[in-house]
Amino acid sequence: MLWFIVLSVVLITSVTVAVTIGPATITAPDVWGSIVHHLGLGANPLSPLRDSIVWELRLPRVLTAGAVGAGLAISGVVMQAITRNPLADPYLLGLSSGASLGAVAVLLLGSALLLPVAAFLGAALALALTLLLAGMFGRITPSRTVLAGIAVSALAAAITSLIIFWTVTGDSYREILGWLLGSLAGARWPEAGIACSAILVAGIPIMFSGRTLDAFAFGDTSAATLGVNVQRTRWIMLTVTALLTGAMVSVSGSIGFVGLVLPHAVRLIVGPRHRLLLPLSALVGASFLIWADTAARTFFDPRELPVGIVTAIIGAPVFAVLLARRVRS
Amino acid sequence: MEATPFTGLVGVQAFPFLGRQVAPSDCSADTLMQPCPSEVFVFAVSRTVVVLSVAALSLTGCAAGSGGTPTPTPTPAASAIDNCGVSVPITSPPQRVVTIKSTSTEMLLALGLGDRIVGTAFQDGPVPARWSADAASLPVLADKVPSQEVVLSATPDFVYAGWESNFSADGAGTRSDLAALGIRSYVSPSACKEAAYQPSKLSFSDIDAEINQVAEIFSVDDSTLLANQHATLAGVAKDTRGLSALWFSSGSSVPYIGAGIGAPQLILDTIGVRNIAGDIKDTWAPYNWESVIAANPDVIVLVDASWSTKEKKIKVLEDNPATAKLDAVKNHRYLVVPFAASEAGVRTVDAAEDLAQQLKAQTFG
Repeated sequence: MLWFIVLSVVLITSVTVAVTIGPATITAPDVWGSIVHHLGLGANPLSPLRDSIVWELRLPRVLTAGAVGAGLAISGVVMQAITRNPLADPYLLGLSSGASLGAVAVLLLGSALLLPVAAFLGAALALALTLLLAGMFGRITPSRTVLAGIAVSALAAAITSLIIFWTVTGDSYREILGWLLGSLAGARWPEAGIACSAILVAGIPIMFSGRTLDAFAFGDTSAATLGVNVQRTRWIMLTVTALLTGAMVSVSGSIGFVGLVLPHAVRLIVGPRHRLLLPLSALVGASFLIWADTAARTFFDPRELPVGIVTAIIGAPVFAVLLARRVRS
Repeated sequence: MEATPFTGLVGVQAFPFLGRQVAPSDCSADTLMQPCPSEVFVFAVSRTVVVLSVAALSLTGCAAGSGGTPTPTPTPAASAIDNCGVSVPITSPPQRVVTIKSTSTEMLLALGLGDRIVGTAFQDGPVPARWSADAASLPVLADKVPSQEVVLSATPDFVYAGWESNFSADGAGTRSDLAALGIRSYVSPSACKEAAYQPSKLSFSDIDAEINQVAEIFSVDDSTLLANQHATLAGVAKDTRGLSALWFSSGSSVPYIGAGIGAPQLILDTIGVRNIAGDIKDTWAPYNWESVIAANPDVIVLVDASWSTKEKKIKVLEDNPATAKLDAVKNHRYLVVPFAASEAGVRTVDAAEDLAQQLKAQTFG
């Protein structure tokens, strides 16, 4: 409970501080004044143009970062529990490759669909194909699901490569590269809406499945003796998680390491019990991605980095340290 | 405990297209990864590797491009030209030339050397009307970067490219491979990416120097072309209203813009407009909308390319609720430059003249 309060405060502080940081110099009181004004209180201290920097660019982006970070961390926890694989991440089942394919189809083939919709459809299609493959020859086991996911990922990535190879002209690939690496640069209110709704619709219900996930940790047989309908639960958890991840990928591309590393880090602090692990991972994920994205948009100001580069640069060494500790203990 | 047999592969995603297949632009003047790491292969097998490799490239990219010395001007007596670090011997004038990108094709057309071209590739757009008759008969080898076989099948003795990155193993062939076959290669010096060769700030004398070099290689007289260039330039009047501009090259969520040392800066300086990204020591660079809004430029230069048209750019600006509030967007204060004229070459003076005229027509209340 103490951790919960501490991390909630950290998250709220992160949001309020991160919106005051950016390439344009706007003072913190002005930033908050503008936000308070939009919430219906007080006069706006900023001109309409400078106000749009705060209200149309920074705030939706910070909120999207928080929601995406939370969503990826939750998805990572669930995937690691359901597949009993410590290397599982939210993109395991072909989701990111499927979403990338959808996005590339929109960006390069000029499909009429909106990018988030296409990315989500791609992710959903990849998941369906993965589960179909995994279930084709009998029970859906963790290892079959993972292997099917690898096959589907490879296929989707190959088709994506093919499309890019044939159609990319001039520098249009740069936009795609940024997207594939994970970037929140395009996050506006609609994206913030998608990400926050996904947390409400899929993320919150997952938070209440801690007991079920604990049962899964002991293996299918043990879970069954504890009264869990293993097959059905696995289907449901995978699908809900995929919806969550698909929504996140659709607004931010595939941001690596958040869903892989943060659950391990939080597990080190609070132990493996999912009732705590899920909400705390969500809080840490949200704060982490907000700061990673703030770094991405300010470190090389006025240029910006895809945030996936930042999360990987931080995530890879952290993961190595976690692995080393695991081996020692 | 049920364990997966392939845990080591979990999460592995192949994105081979991040490798050299996208050579046409992956180390061009116009790229996320600024330098031209022609020797760097990003044959990534995992997302992790991709991310880290690209991170490494981006970081080296920030180091390159700043500083450096101006392009060495050739001495008339030289028997070889140092071109982006590759020696180009001055022997008999080339007879069969493959040109890659519009700047190289147009340089030869401007020097009256269209009849030496045996193939063009990766053209950025139509040539200006004054050369369209000469250009109509030129064989087109490829819409994008040609493969080495395609280049060799045209049996050239000289390959002239607009970007260093056009010379790669999966592009037109490396310059040393071509040299081994007795084929000389040449890159527009203003597109050299090595700090020692990239102009520290492009000037018209750099473009004159390229005209000189090419004329020397082909042993033709460039005095008429140079005189025309200088006359056009002399006719461009600097705007005196103290205006600022954004040079919007491409992109939507991350705008890619003309920065402080390349052709965009040279053109904006020539027409008397301040570049809002002029303090970035690079030719072109990724930028961010927040800085654009904070600067609120008086006009926006839209680069019109087939893959990123001026209409698409206007839509990007108007669809983003923040940029829609920019004065230039609200009042449709746009200047348009064709992509092929936006890179350094014989059309840079034309671009300056054209933009100066468009700017003159803009009124500010």
